[in-house]
Amino acid sequence: MALSRRKFLLGATVTGAWVTWGALSAWGVGATASSAQFMEVSKLLINHQLDEAVGARIAAAAATKYPQSVQMLTSIAALAQAKQAKAVEDFFGDIPEGPLQEFAHWVIFAWYSGCSSPKKDAQLFTFEHALTYKTTADTVAMPSYGFSGPNLWSRPIVPLSNMPIF
Amino acid sequence: MSNPTSADVVIVGTGVVGVSIAETLLDAGLSVLMLEAGPRVSRAEVVENFRNLPLTLKGDPSSCYPPAAWAPHPMPSSETKEDAYLQLSGPDRYAQSYIRYAGGSTWHWAGTCWRLTPQDMRLKTLYGVGRDWAIDYQTLEPYYTRTEYALGICGPSEPAEQWPPLAEGVARSKPYPMPPLPFGPGEQRFTEVVKTLGYSNIPTAQARNSGTSYDDRPACCANNNCVPVCPVGAKYDAATALARIEAKGAKITANAVAYRLETDGANRVIAVNYFDQHKASHRITGKLFVLACNGIETPKLLLMSANARNPNGLANSSDQVGRNMMDHPQLTMTLTLEEPYWAGVGPVVNSGIMETSQGAFRSEHAGAYFRFNNFARNRFVTFGALKKGLVGKALDAEIRRMTACTADVVLAHEVLPDPNNRLTLSDKKDWLGLPKPSIHYDVGDYTRKSAEVYSVPIGKRIAQAMGATDIKLSPQFNQSKHIMGGTIMGLDHKDSVVDADCRAYDHDNLFLPGGGAMASTACGNSTITMVSLAFKAADAMVRQMKGA
Repeated sequence: MALSRRKFLLGATVTGAWVTWGALSAWGVGATASSAQFMEVSKLLINHQLDEAVGARIAAAAATKYPQSVQMLTSIAALAQAKQAKAVEDFFGDIPEGPLQEFAHWVIFAWYSGCSSPKKDAQLFTFEHALTYKTTADTVAMPSYGFSGPNLWSRPIVPLSNMPIF
Repeated sequence: MSNPTSADVVIVGTGVVGVSIAETLLDAGLSVLMLEAGPRVSRAEVVENFRNLPLTLKGDPSSCYPPAAWAPHPMPSSETKEDAYLQLSGPDRYAQSYIRYAGGSTWHWAGTCWRLTPQDMRLKTLYGVGRDWAIDYQTLEPYYTRTEYALGICGPSEPAEQWPPLAEGVARSKPYPMPPLPFGPGEQRFTEVVKTLGYSNIPTAQARNSGTSYDDRPACCANNNCVPVCPVGAKYDAATALARIEAKGAKITANAVAYRLETDGANRVIAVNYFDQHKASHRITGKLFVLACNGIETPKLLLMSANARNPNGLANSSDQVGRNMMDHPQLTMTLTLEEPYWAGVGPVVNSGIMETSQGAFRSEHAGAYFRFNNFARNRFVTFGALKKGLVGKALDAEIRRMTACTADVVLAHEVLPDPNNRLTLSDKKDWLGLPKPSIHYDVGDYTRKSAEVYSVPIGKRIAQAMGATDIKLSPQFNQSKHIMGGTIMGLDHKDSVVDADCRAYDHDNLFLPGGGAMASTACGNSTITMVSLAFKAADAMVRQMKGA
């Protein structure tokens, strides 16, 4: 089931505090998070353009790794809504330490690293869209992808402040 | 169509050494049959494997080359102690990685091609250590040039930037076929910084097309993925030559694991036996035989071929087969820097300080070569940045900072030949029931002393000049994966396996060219010397076959 962000946030708000959301969830305890729900929360946690297909892969992995992922996604959305958050910095500090914050960090980890963990048997979600490479896309190559024309890569040091827009 | 079973020359191994010899022989009108233990794969398959690796394995040179069951090779990131291919012992781990695929380990080499110097080949005479080579630099020089044109090695035209430096007896017979590749910003900055310390960071001579296509391969476009695989074939690897030598008549049989050589009453080699992927045995005959299956597999095969006439293995009357195993023991300084350097622009290895490998100090300790590793740093720093618990702009900024403001500077040392550094046959068996290689290794006091009194102090001065705020030094020597010494060359058959043409002293129709023949390592990567020895051996084979 796909929900718009507005309906999703509205649902979270109506059902009250995140700590009790599990019993009242519109999706139900143990339900599988939809890609749309996952993408909505991902966009709250990461203020960049995110690829839908990658999001679907991460969402599927999240549902397996975190049985309470639906509840946790809803809770994070509620916290953002409570702060009328426009960026992750506006509400991330409100996510309580423990499982919910760990889950939020895992979602961020997955998008930036493109995989499920730092282990050798990690599941790969994406290479091309891993956000780590976007932070330096103006300067260094994503390994295996061409960076310039032949012998055209001499250039001055690029300052750290010129963060690419992505 | 059944596989051929005989040829003028049978070559075991399809890496750069085997391929270089094969082409020379084919051009001379000889028939060539090549055996490759592993599979033959496409470049696209390897690139796809790389891109599908999780981030933590992106920096591992072997993970996109899964070994065939019948042709195991080291897989340091995934193998367990129980299933490890190399059985290692000794104070230092001779932990190599190489690829048993058609095309061999140049699939994942960096392409670096430093020549030896005349001094590197006369350690015993000049410094009283190690061994002298059976040939001198002037003899090898034309073969270096030939290698530079065969592989397409780019390099500087300015003598001050060439290695070895111009001196008496070091004139180049031809310029490099292509100009050097430009430096990225990190290398440029590194060059400027070390210059203040009196060191010259010079362009690496490298088998990579610079500014133009060469040998039907495209120009490098800075994909920064030379290791583990060049996605476009701008870097030479032997896989790029397989179709060409087949067009010239070479017969290549993949999935053919050579396990025994046969000799006749005159102690000439008459056949090689191999297992296919179904464990069926086959026999190949020829007039000349070449083992070019790298510095570990070649001595292993010789030892496995022991027979009544050669009870210690073929070519081993000197008892030197499998001894003198060498590499370039390296230490890595991982630096955190105040200012951005931006490693990762251009090829992964593009420059180095070589002058520190030479000097009278070599009577006391090893020389060292310093290089700024030019791998893009994201793969090394991303997990660390994420572990800090940052989010949003702070996370973006930290990844960017750590990518730009960290660097690896590698200190690569020479090592002396030591008969106690030895490859033997393990009692552990592989999938085919063949013995795994067992290797005992100790880098030795000569190299350790270099780290203590020479290389690390220089490295720390460089780090300080670069603005390092933190230095993490490898806690032990790691291997450079430059396998040398196991079939060592010399003038005396009593202490050497091969002569100056890489011909086995014990068998006049058996050639063992490549890194195994090298009598000293110096500090620079070994492949250009291996290939030069291969061309010299190939010329000798042609003369031998033509009855000259």
